[in-house]
Amino acid sequence: MSRFGTKRIGGLALAVASITALAACSSSSSSSSSSSTTTTTPGAVTQPGSIGAIPAAGTPSGTAGSITYALSPGAVPNWILPLPTAAANSVYNVFTFEWEMWRPMYFAPAGSTPTVDPALSVANTPVWSNGDKTMTITVKPWKWNTGQTISSKDLLFTFDVIKAAVAASPANWAPYVPGNFPSTITSMSTPNASTIVINLKSPVNPTWMEEDILGAVPILPSFAWSKDSASGPIIDFTNPANATKIFNYLTSQAKSVSTYATNPLWQTVYGPYKLSSFNNTTGAFTLVPNTTYSGPHATPESDFVGVPFTSNTAEWNAVKTGSVDVAYVPQEDVPQIPQLKGLSYNYYGLPFFGDNFVAYNYKDTTGSFNAIASQLYFRQAMQHLEDQAGQIKAYYNGAGDPSYGPIPAYPKSPFLPANAATNPYPFDVNSAISILKANGWTVTPNGTDTCATAGTGPGDCGAGVPVGAKLAFNLIYNTTPPIPQLVEDLASNAKAAGIEIALSGSNFNYMISNYNDAASPANANKWATEDFGGEFNSTYPTQFGFLNTGGSGQIGDYSNPTADSLINASVSGTNPSAVSNEASFFTAQVPVLWQPLTDYIWAWKTNISTTDPSAIENLTQYSATPEYWYLTK
Amino acid sequence: MTAYLLRRIGTSIIVLIGISIFIFLLLHEIYPSPARDVLGLRANNAQVAAWNKQYGFDDPVIVQYLRYMKGLLLHGNLGYSYSENQTVASLFAERVARSAYLSFMSLFLAILIALPLGIFQAVKRNSLGDNVATSLAFILYSMPVFFLGIILIQVFAISFPIFNFEASQSTDVWTVIGDWHSMFLPILTLTLLTVANFSRYMRSSSIDVLAQDYIKVARAKGLPERLVRSRHLVRNASLPMITLIGLFLPALLAGNLIIETLFNYQGLGLLFYESLSKADYPVLLAYTLIGAVFVVVGNLVADFALTVADPRIRLA
Repeated sequence: MSRFGTKRIGGLALAVASITALAACSSSSSSSSSSSTTTTTPGAVTQPGSIGAIPAAGTPSGTAGSITYALSPGAVPNWILPLPTAAANSVYNVFTFEWEMWRPMYFAPAGSTPTVDPALSVANTPVWSNGDKTMTITVKPWKWNTGQTISSKDLLFTFDVIKAAVAASPANWAPYVPGNFPSTITSMSTPNASTIVINLKSPVNPTWMEEDILGAVPILPSFAWSKDSASGPIIDFTNPANATKIFNYLTSQAKSVSTYATNPLWQTVYGPYKLSSFNNTTGAFTLVPNTTYSGPHATPESDFVGVPFTSNTAEWNAVKTGSVDVAYVPQEDVPQIPQLKGLSYNYYGLPFFGDNFVAYNYKDTTGSFNAIASQLYFRQAMQHLEDQAGQIKAYYNGAGDPSYGPIPAYPKSPFLPANAATNPYPFDVNSAISILKANGWTVTPNGTDTCATAGTGPGDCGAGVPVGAKLAFNLIYNTTPPIPQLVEDLASNAKAAGIEIALSGSNFNYMISNYNDAASPANANKWATEDFGGEFNSTYPTQFGFLNTGGSGQIGDYSNPTADSLINASVSGTNPSAVSNEASFFTAQVPVLWQPLTDYIWAWKTNISTTDPSAIENLTQYSATPEYWYLTK
Repeated sequence: MTAYLLRRIGTSIIVLIGISIFIFLLLHEIYPSPARDVLGLRANNAQVAAWNKQYGFDDPVIVQYLRYMKGLLLHGNLGYSYSENQTVASLFAERVARSAYLSFMSLFLAILIALPLGIFQAVKRNSLGDNVATSLAFILYSMPVFFLGIILIQVFAISFPIFNFEASQSTDVWTVIGDWHSMFLPILTLTLLTVANFSRYMRSSSIDVLAQDYIKVARAKGLPERLVRSRHLVRNASLPMITLIGLFLPALLAGNLIIETLFNYQGLGLLFYESLSKADYPVLLAYTLIGAVFVVVGNLVADFALTVADPRIRLA
């Protein structure tokens, strides 16, 4: 689960479904998620698409303590080196653990808004020159807890280690896309103690580089980590061979999970916290304030204690007994949200910035499905059969928001295209039937549609679709709720339009490995469509890697020259609207079938407040900035 | 006796080898290599092939099986969990004592309660006490463990906060044992369900024994009822219980999944469940193999115990 660099397979629905709540739309104390009008107390923070509200800041008690934070089942950290490998790349390793100790150069989100938060970023916005091939980065004069100032040498060290890591294996740094940064670095220099100049082979889109690439890069301490053994001396990391040794050493230390809290390596931090204890059996951890932290924070700061739970039931029991301070609201417990006030908790929820979808397999030749899926009219008809409003009401209990393209309507992204703000293909079985009839299909509601007129002209079924071809295919789905309900609803609606969808359950890990044309080409004819959940978007939400031809994160081998051109503009052009244009195209083209998003709802005790409401808002984005939290009177 | 024991041990070893081959082949078919877990989906097929070659996952399956078994038997190497970033052996070692405590304590208490209860019910058959105990046993037996646990938590931890809503979070087993405030409810839940099960077996077994001729003869000879029960009834009625308890041994490994899930207790059952959901096959392979060992050993122990309790078995 990641959102680095490019769009990633992340099992969004899997993760969200297991830990996200479905709000009771009938609840008098809940705001309607899809409504922009909410009733809140004066000073409270709410926004369109949200559920609940963040009260106005409370009066500080002036004392520090421990604030416990619920970790959902299986979502406990097990990797500490802030360069996550492909195997260790998860939001619970990175966002709520590593980044508390080593913040990325450019921190996102800003509250729930998917954009960079300059106040929490350790580097100033890059200055671009040389036709967007040279970036000059100045690091803020923040301090390591050992007293040194973060320097350009540390930045140089970080990039050299990452270069060595990906040279050994692309899997050594999860955000790496083969052929891209840092492989595109031609030279680096440090003209002064706070500035690094990086020259690249070719121009890149500055926003993409800042938000999606550098936003995943924390800074490593060259003075403490530039060695290849615990007792060895500091070595010259600019020598690639040494950089490889350093990476191997750091990785070997990160594999010693039982020593996370005692290894001196991990005690050198510049983030708001440092690790005090770590239980490698349960994943419980205690992060204590880094008293030299240079960024904004509450005073005094409390300890940030990660409390693992083996089930949502156990977590909710902890809420009912008041045993946890900041807790997610499990999906099955949403009907109990009205009780939260009585239990002295506030709550707030929004969808995570990503999307849920059913992927089409453009390589499945079974029944000419590859040719059928390639027809825009077919995908449009399918999208008309997706009853997002009904699904939110029935399966999310109203706590969700619709999504019509790669950029969801909520949380609000500055890149949301106009055509994704409202549904371009609203649920309507008759519209789907009309589209199919207009394109050469004999429609048999509750039967199976067949292609009547082959050909590529107007009114024909389209290239490669033979006469007699049937609209009957399989859909393999992740059995984690609410995905089964979503696909059953889709299959039911499709049946009414004569599209026969054979449902088959599976699990997330198996699906992403086996029903993936790039990873398992031998299985290309075994699946026509699949729903494993969804993906997390980067804050700069390009579909690079996911929907460009041959993209490394492709699932069903979608290919479209216009899409490639638009994606290329997003990652290497200078047009600030490029990614919006790209999203607009994918909203219209529906390369996958877009599904609604559930709200990720968090509850926190009423005696906890924040110096900035963003520190509660960002919980809905799997992020955490507990340095803003404080105890109230 | 020795020949019997050797025969049973020999049979058990053969069964274990067969099971290990079967499980290894089965999981290998589903999950031939952890390469994708390690390299991620972006790795191309050439990189996957290179990784498989480097770590021997492109060897014939029988070679991989023999290497795995060699590592297991000679070095206790159960493999490496890439999703947990730990060796499988360390994952087991961290949890086995906690799971064993929960299982053994509830099993011990269940035996302590169920055996006398079953005998009491048989002796006082159709009495008020028997009917009440039978009714309670049926209620508990028919109640899903999850439901019973939730009720106990609601009553004794939330409505009347006498005990902790979750089990001990310590990883030190001695601290866990000492934390009765936290361990009471999970142990009680497991014990109640086991008592319901065992007491029914014990009751019917005792009723059978009470109808045997040797009981009538003992009574006819004037043996006091106390001695009839202690010398003839308890020993003979307990024979089926020995087999039953032997079969409960595998529960030490997996049987407490629901309790662990409900009471926030990191144990082996939960490890298996999470491995299943993450498709963490190195853990699943080791877990299934060890589970098979527990089943075979449990039966072996039960057979030995039966030969001690009933000499006729070893003569047969």
